[in-house]
Amino acid sequence: MVRRVLSLTSGRIAVAILTAVALLAVLGPLLAPQDPLATSDNTLAAASGGHWLGTDYLGRDVLSRLLDGSRVSVLGALQVALTALVVGAVPGILSVYLGRVFEWITLRLADTLVALPFLLFAVAVIALLGNGLTQAMLVTGVLVSPLFYRVSRAATLAVARSQYVEAALISGASIGWVVRRHVWAKVLPPIAVAFAQTIGTGFVIVSSLTFLGIGVQPPEPTWGGLLASDLGYLSHRPWAPLTPALLIMITVWAGNLLADAIRDVSGEAGRALLRGRGARTGRTDRTGPTEPAPAGGAR
Amino acid sequence: MTTVSEKLLTRAEESGTRGPAGPPGPAVPLLSLRDVRIADGGDGREIVHGVSFDLTPGKVVGIVGESGSGKTLTCRAALGILPDHFAITGGSVEIEGTDISALTPARWTALRGATIGAVFQDPASYLNPSLRIGRQIAEVVRVKKGLGRRAARERVLALLRAVHLRDPELVHDQYPHELSGGMLQRVLIAAAVAADPRILVADEATTALDVTVQAEILDLLADLRDRAGLALVVVSHDLAVVARLCDEVLVMRRGEVVEQGPTRRVLDDPRHAYTRLLISEHEQYGLEKFLGPAASKGEA
Amino acid sequence: MRAGRTLGRVLVTLARSVAIFVPVFLVATFVTFALRSMSGLSPARIQLGEEATPEAIARVEAQWGLDRPFLVQYGDWIGGVLHGQLGSSWTNGADISALIGLGLGVSLSVATFALVIGVVVGFALGTLAALRRTTWVDRAVTGFVTVISVMPAFVVGIVLVAVLAVQFRLFPSAGYVPAGQGLGPWLAHITLPALALSLDVVADVARQLRSGLVAAYRENYVTGAVVRGLGPRRIFFVHVLRNGLGPALATLGLKFPALVGASVVTEWIFGLQGFGRFANDSAQAGDVPAVQGVLVVSIALVVAFNLVVNLVLARVTPASQRGV
Repeated sequence: MVRRVLSLTSGRIAVAILTAVALLAVLGPLLAPQDPLATSDNTLAAASGGHWLGTDYLGRDVLSRLLDGSRVSVLGALQVALTALVVGAVPGILSVYLGRVFEWITLRLADTLVALPFLLFAVAVIALLGNGLTQAMLVTGVLVSPLFYRVSRAATLAVARSQYVEAALISGASIGWVVRRHVWAKVLPPIAVAFAQTIGTGFVIVSSLTFLGIGVQPPEPTWGGLLASDLGYLSHRPWAPLTPALLIMITVWAGNLLADAIRDVSGEAGRALLRGRGARTGRTDRTGPTEPAPAGGAR
Repeated sequence: MTTVSEKLLTRAEESGTRGPAGPPGPAVPLLSLRDVRIADGGDGREIVHGVSFDLTPGKVVGIVGESGSGKTLTCRAALGILPDHFAITGGSVEIEGTDISALTPARWTALRGATIGAVFQDPASYLNPSLRIGRQIAEVVRVKKGLGRRAARERVLALLRAVHLRDPELVHDQYPHELSGGMLQRVLIAAAVAADPRILVADEATTALDVTVQAEILDLLADLRDRAGLALVVVSHDLAVVARLCDEVLVMRRGEVVEQGPTRRVLDDPRHAYTRLLISEHEQYGLEKFLGPAASKGEA
Repeated sequence: MRAGRTLGRVLVTLARSVAIFVPVFLVATFVTFALRSMSGLSPARIQLGEEATPEAIARVEAQWGLDRPFLVQYGDWIGGVLHGQLGSSWTNGADISALIGLGLGVSLSVATFALVIGVVVGFALGTLAALRRTTWVDRAVTGFVTVISVMPAFVVGIVLVAVLAVQFRLFPSAGYVPAGQGLGPWLAHITLPALALSLDVVADVARQLRSGLVAAYRENYVTGAVVRGLGPRRIFFVHVLRNGLGPALATLGLKFPALVGASVVTEWIFGLQGFGRFANDSAQAGDVPAVQGVLVVSIALVVAFNLVVNLVLARVTPASQRGV
């Protein structure tokens, strides 16, 4: 699948951007030309040879802060996506097999989590339970997990009900082979799509929270924090929010682009699953296009 | 001129007091296809290689052939609803003497429903799932005939009665998903003839239905032809359907008309190997019981 | 008879939605309430400071009824919630319902305006793209939608402040004026935050509506309507729109929580003393009952909004309600 995604131009662009951002996160602090925490008298300076992106209100080098802050954003987004993956996909798959009680409970929980205004809830939970970005990301991951729950459940349901799996088992295929060949192939793409999308969502959430100053200690630079500090000095440096904003947007876009690319190569079956069919929650999922009511009377 | 639905309604209400419509005069064909060729614009491949027939009032032309033989495309060409990329690349289609290539979208809209109507396979999918049956038929009579709300309702109920739906009042207020396939096909026919077309195209209209219902729908179509002089184009992969209803039959295979002629002649004396194949397949399952009505009509 | 059947349908939909949302509401409020015990925060710390004696702490906690069993406290609290009583603030003892009521006007003005912008613009763009599908218009709309969909509300907010308020001085950059003091100033103050919040809604509504309409146009009933001789305008409004609307409406239901949540950020940027700002301030201050109150109100808003969406959905596309 990876090779097929990379065969698409959009897939290559998305992977390139995300890799670059990841590299930034790993190497960012090393690349930073100056100490991101060092203040100077040269405050709110315009871009110059010494400070490519100028300086902030304490005279700190913006480029260095941007590079240094990338790690927090990338780690945060990954934590959100991984938490959501584990918390959502595992019960999503199990809900098909563990009986009606488990199914009902998890469905209700998914409905509940979707109904929570997650930014508000994240803010509340983090402020009350302790000021750490990791907790913040775990909570956010749980709050966005219904997406994974739905897509993995829908995909598993479709596989569980499909006759080719039954046929393969009857014709003597081993269970391991069936899982590798059929179940995996059908359940993995929608989850991969959801993961790519959640990376994007994660970036927005991390930036929003750090923008509010939640989850980080003040001197530590973050993309969101940079935006927040720019806000007070817009009349001096009106173009300042541009770079962090663009960084956030490009990263989110790359996540969505990757999701689309995976959706495209995983074919019609994967796309149909992502429409949220069979999730039986009475609502459509958060992902891509949903189809209107079936036209036929037979269904 | 009395219209189809008026005749239909009269008949339905005064059951069986008048004879069949008189024989049409030396008619201008209602629908005339001349060597119609259809190609897929995508790769330029020709799919239908020349179909010709004339349809006069009260006449029934059948097109029979396996799926992919081009019969549905031919119908759709005559209705001006070819799928994207497909186009008529040769020959001509005339509806009441007007070449359809000269029709503007607005004139097409005026023509459809009022002059030419159609019903299709899978009737449920051809009705809006979100609207009640009554409203969907009323829409046609209100738009095409300019009737008011109350008059439209009366007419819709009469139409539903005319297509032999048992409880028109109930059906009027139901949604498509609440009806069976046979009922839906009747509803679709009622909607198709609501604005008194002179031509009705029935594209595999009975295919998805079970045998008894299929026979009832065919009777209904025959009824429409007899009472109102409606001209029919009946398309089916099933020779029995065509045999039962049609005066003339075209046998199509891979876009080619392999045999064409009066139904009796084609069935009794098939000249093309493919037609013989279709007939022999049917003999195994008993074509004769379907042939009955067509045969008696031929003698009348 | 027909009216009776319609009413029956509405009631069935309502009952089904309530059956989904009652557990949602209970679970959500339970989680909300459990936050206090999980946080280990106490009014005593806020009122008495860090050096309070254990006895003093116990006395204050008893005053607040925090020494009772957890479930009793929850029952008490949820009973109050159902009567609109959200308790009093730990920091100043003020009635939380009243405090939230003050901010709600601001937030709802902004959220409603954002929804209106989102629905109107999203609708126009989605319809335009669907009617001109596969042309350059469609591609332009899709491109625009992609761009705005990756712009987080707070980024848009900052850009709007920077450009429209600070550079061109077209709008006030912060603050709020109630509608009672003049419609013009009210609109001027809520336009930028509403715009910032709306882009996400615009993007989602446009995207879902486009794909919904494109899918509906491929349906056989459109061919059926064409063959019955109905005009393109009528086909669009009566047949396509009605059936293509579902996904966009459902999206709206899902977007609403995000809209409420994002108010935390936009109200911060635009200096609005709304509901989101109150949530943030209370959370930072460790004022647990206030935070719980905000969460309950937000959940109630979301649930109510989704009920309405479900009813509209049931009305517009009755067929889709079967067997869901």
